[in-house]
Amino acid sequence: MATASSDAPVRRGLQERLYPLLSRLARSWLFIAFFVAFFLFWEYSIDIFSIPRYILPRPTEIVRNASADIPRLLEYTYITGAEALIGYLLAVAMAVPLGLAIAFSSVLRRTIYPFFVSLEMTPKIAFAPLFISWLGFGMLPKVIIVILVCFFPVVLNAILAFGSLPDELENFCRSTGAGPLRAFLKVRLPAAMPQCFVGFKYAAINATVGATIAEFIGSDQGLGFYIQIVTGNMRPDLAFAGIFLLTILGLALFGMVTLAERLLIPWHISVRRSRG
Amino acid sequence: MSASIELRALAKTFGSGLEAVHAFGPADLTIHEGEFVSLLGPSGCGKSTLMLIIAGLLEPSEGCVRVDGAEVNGPQTDIGIMFQDNTLVPWRTVWDNVALQLELRGLDVRQFTERIRALLASVSLTGFEHRHPWELSGGMQQRAAFCQAMVHEPDTLLLDEPLGKLDAMTRESIRTDLQALWLSKRPTVVFVTHSIEEAVQLSSRICVITPRPGRIDRVIDVDLPYPRTLEVKKSSEFVTLVGDIQEIFHGYGVI
Repeated sequence: MATASSDAPVRRGLQERLYPLLSRLARSWLFIAFFVAFFLFWEYSIDIFSIPRYILPRPTEIVRNASADIPRLLEYTYITGAEALIGYLLAVAMAVPLGLAIAFSSVLRRTIYPFFVSLEMTPKIAFAPLFISWLGFGMLPKVIIVILVCFFPVVLNAILAFGSLPDELENFCRSTGAGPLRAFLKVRLPAAMPQCFVGFKYAAINATVGATIAEFIGSDQGLGFYIQIVTGNMRPDLAFAGIFLLTILGLALFGMVTLAERLLIPWHISVRRSRG
Repeated sequence: MSASIELRALAKTFGSGLEAVHAFGPADLTIHEGEFVSLLGPSGCGKSTLMLIIAGLLEPSEGCVRVDGAEVNGPQTDIGIMFQDNTLVPWRTVWDNVALQLELRGLDVRQFTERIRALLASVSLTGFEHRHPWELSGGMQQRAAFCQAMVHEPDTLLLDEPLGKLDAMTRESIRTDLQALWLSKRPTVVFVTHSIEEAVQLSSRICVITPRPGRIDRVIDVDLPYPRTLEVKKSSEFVTLVGDIQEIFHGYGVI
């Protein structure tokens, strides 16, 4: 009895730490099982259906062959990742203030806003060859193309975010006599954050797509370049390795934005739901 | 600490030309210091519009509002205001939401610690100070919103159907709290409602407003003793008055 009570707190502490992990595993086991089954099916269907290697390699071959090319893959991951991240951050840094300005200026709302809405219909990636012909093969045109594909979702959502404060809160702020800056910092800005994050997330998905396609069009480095070259050399195994690393990049960027969302707006319904 | 409010030939029309909608007026009314006046009318009669005009948040098309004799021509800051949808923000706790009123006014929140504590206690929110609005029931949210509207000790309270979205039992209990607060501090209250019973229970005077375009058709003095407890509500005077007002609205074809 005495011994049981003396190590009970320790055991409880361990259980408390293990429990969330186990319950998370219990909730996602179906997904993990599906994932494993998917790769097993892929692995064995190559032989079962006699698929030639130059069409589709086995997952185990992809891992084996890619590990021989790790230095180059890592270098290119770094390059494409840098293009996507720098372009993304610059796009956000430009789009949020501009969205704010448009939301509060009737002149801008009648000039730049319709222009942006029509530009939103243009596939931005169509500008990629132009930028590459203007600026060459380096990283700069890729960063610009990433900015282009990230900018519009952020700016349009920012306009919506800053322009849609509920009437009650608007009237409440006015009835306190608070100046524009104080009302902005205490009410408008936090109230706008959830809708801004819709744009941030959308743009995060676009960023790696933009960087990859820009590299397809003209470059001598990066994962997009790599995928194009190895595919030309009949090496789909290495192309899959590149695709895998692009997926990791995309997930990392999206994860970064989701983390920022959790830290900045833990009170918002979407964040509360995903935690619950 | 309370203010008098005068409405002089006040009217509001939205839009212009053929599309103009005459929302309200012309209305004349004098609300004395410390009165509890209800604007009672069917939905769409412009009573919320009238409240926004009194608050200086909406410009009248004709006429004017005077508060303590001075004409209103901008947002009034010496008021506490409450809407059907409350102005609690989800990123702040109950305590910080009440403090938001003070922060927006540039006041030092620390000097109001005791006042916030007392206000929250008066509406039974002690222990919920550090909860977020979304962790509270609708009734508790409106109680917190009430503290937010009162914390800066305003002369005037403008309440636009603050109990409109609550269930009957919660309404009843918040009415009691509201009455107790009014009786202790005696601010001037303008209370927008479409509940006849609520108006009779709380008000010292009731303005009966016609359907669109809203006009103040009658002003009824409510001579029932305060506090208006369940006993008072069972009295024949109370029941008769509610019945009389129901007949007025029946005459308008509303009920």
